[in-house]
Amino acid sequence: MNVTCSDRERIFEDGTPAEWAALETHAASCPFCAGVIRGWKSLSVAAKELREYSDSPSFWPRIERALTEQEARSAQRAERKGWFSFLPSFSPAWQTILTGALVLMLTVSGGWIYFHRPIQKIDNDKSLLRTSALKEVESAESSYERAIDKLAGEAQPQLENPATPLLANCHEKLLVLDSAIADLRVQAGLNPSNAQLRYQLLAMYQEKQRTLEEVLEAKP
Amino acid sequence: MGTMGLALPWRARISSTLCERGTRVEPSEHLAGGPSSAAMDALSEDAALAAGCRSGDLRAYERLYRKHGARMKNLARNVLGNPTDAEDAVQETFLKVQRGIASFRGQSSFLTWTYRILINTCYDARRSRQRKREVANDDSEETPRLEPRAPGAHPTLRMALERALEKLTRHQRDVFLLYEVEGFRHAEIAGMLEMTETASKNTLFQAKKNLRLMLEPPRSSAAESR
Repeated sequence: MNVTCSDRERIFEDGTPAEWAALETHAASCPFCAGVIRGWKSLSVAAKELREYSDSPSFWPRIERALTEQEARSAQRAERKGWFSFLPSFSPAWQTILTGALVLMLTVSGGWIYFHRPIQKIDNDKSLLRTSALKEVESAESSYERAIDKLAGEAQPQLENPATPLLANCHEKLLVLDSAIADLRVQAGLNPSNAQLRYQLLAMYQEKQRTLEEVLEAKP
Repeated sequence: MGTMGLALPWRARISSTLCERGTRVEPSEHLAGGPSSAAMDALSEDAALAAGCRSGDLRAYERLYRKHGARMKNLARNVLGNPTDAEDAVQETFLKVQRGIASFRGQSSFLTWTYRILINTCYDARRSRQRKREVANDDSEETPRLEPRAPGAHPTLRMALERALEKLTRHQRDVFLLYEVEGFRHAEIAGMLEMTETASKNTLFQAKKNLRLMLEPPRSSAAESR
């Protein structure tokens, strides 16, 4: 194989061993090529000056420690992930789709509940009676009052001439109850929607009813 | 490109050492026939290392360190310029290998993959150092500060070469370091730097041409024209 000076650079770049041998042969008779080849090879020799394979005894223990720490951290993370172990069975794309579907479902459900919620017409403040309820209460009260007055009429003779101390006590109690009922009726007249006053009035009438029943039972 | 004051009397200084030191100065990759038994051993060792590291066996990492730690550190030092940063880069490389071994599919050799991580880590470190300098408004020094090494046979030559290497492009520097200093083959370098084998050869040729221009004394115009 014959090579010339013009082949030199090509052989430097990608020459086969045969081409290198031919170049060396050519260099034996060409001082310029011999100098260039020597300079070229010298770079490889010089490169070895940058090779310094020194071992530092503390370096591997340092790497080993870092590896162990990283492994421990990764084990901790894996443990935490274990709580959500069902998630990795889905691909990230599916996880996104499922999350989106869940959000959509919650939004639709929330919207449906909001628009179909029961309309509460009853006033939240139960201490006040509405007009229709007030009429019902007043009507029931007057019926109850009439019935108790009728009962009082039947007990009247015994109470006017009490034969026993029990009847005398009942008479006094009824006077007190009547007085309290009169006061409550005045207050209820001023504040007719106050349910609390109505409950107290009802309690007084019930007590009067029980007392009258005791009087009638004590009839000889 | 000029000599930049790095010219050295090459023939006087080096020619005597050419025969003394075992160096790769001629093509070594035009091998006839199939892979040798040594190459097969290297492949099985590579696969064993990858399997050991994948299983989380720290002894596999230690084996990787014992076989390649010094070479990795030397490469990192040549890219970064000082041993402290080089050790940090090698340690970070081991950590990245541990983190990423599950995603290693064996499309390249484990060693090639590891060195690719190392090179990228070194350049990340260089960029980070550069950013820190920019933040500190210290733009006086663009190239890494080269810390002194243990005395060698040609300390002046080594310093000149280190400075000249900094003037090369990143790829030229990488290929030169991997081929000429660390002794990797072009096929391996192609895998590490994600380029073709031909590109690796061409890049090495360009790198050496540039280095020759920077380091050799100027020739006479008559000789240059040949």
